[in-house]
Amino acid sequence: MAIKHAPLSPRLSIYRWFPGMVASIAHRGSGVVLVLAVPCYLWILHGMTGSPQDFDAAVALLHSPLGRLGLWLASVALIYHFCNGIRFLCLDAGWGESRDLMRNSARVVIGIAAAASAALGVLLW
Amino acid sequence: MVNKPRDLGSAHSGFKDWYWQRLSAVVLAVLLPGAFILLWCVYTGALDQFGLLDWLDSFVSRLLHTLLIVALIVHAYMGLKVMIEDYVHAGLRVLLIGSMLVMMSLFGMWWLALIWAWGG
Repeated sequence: MAIKHAPLSPRLSIYRWFPGMVASIAHRGSGVVLVLAVPCYLWILHGMTGSPQDFDAAVALLHSPLGRLGLWLASVALIYHFCNGIRFLCLDAGWGESRDLMRNSARVVIGIAAAASAALGVLLW
Repeated sequence: MVNKPRDLGSAHSGFKDWYWQRLSAVVLAVLLPGAFILLWCVYTGALDQFGLLDWLDSFVSRLLHTLLIVALIVHAYMGLKVMIEDYVHAGLRVLLIGSMLVMMSLFGMWWLALIWAWGG
């Protein structure tokens, strides 16, 4: 029974918060957002390839407050996941593995995502 | 110099998972931004329905969307599997990962059928 209640890995509550750790957690978070967003993308695209009425309804849905919020969230998640994904691929290839580079590159991708979320927010509202 | 990966874990398949996760990531890094650009073009009005269908209703677009869906499912399956393995205890874990795989497969097949039919 001891094994059954053993704590699972990433024990979020006991780690100190570092840029690299935030970047990893945000990668998972944005990944989950994208998993939920992709079916919506395909569903909207399906509507847009239907009759002209379906197309208008899909465009109206995109322009509704909920649609714009979804578009914003999914786009920010994509931009973050894309940038941090490239960072991960670089780390896998052995580039930027020093502690300073890892922290600074994490700061850069978080900064890019923050700037993108602000810019897209202005664009959408 | 280590030529073969060691310590693959009890399932002996960790390296394969790692490899597929990266391979699908590269495919997605190329294709997924395109999908979002398409959506944004429709949102801003830069593309109307005829313009959109010009992009979608072609053999190349159907092929690329097929590749996109396959890469998405591989990538999402691997990613969510790792998360479930990290946060969910053993008993429920197998059920969750199994039902996730079945649902994603069904979703993928349904969408492939739609992709190859749209635009007529």
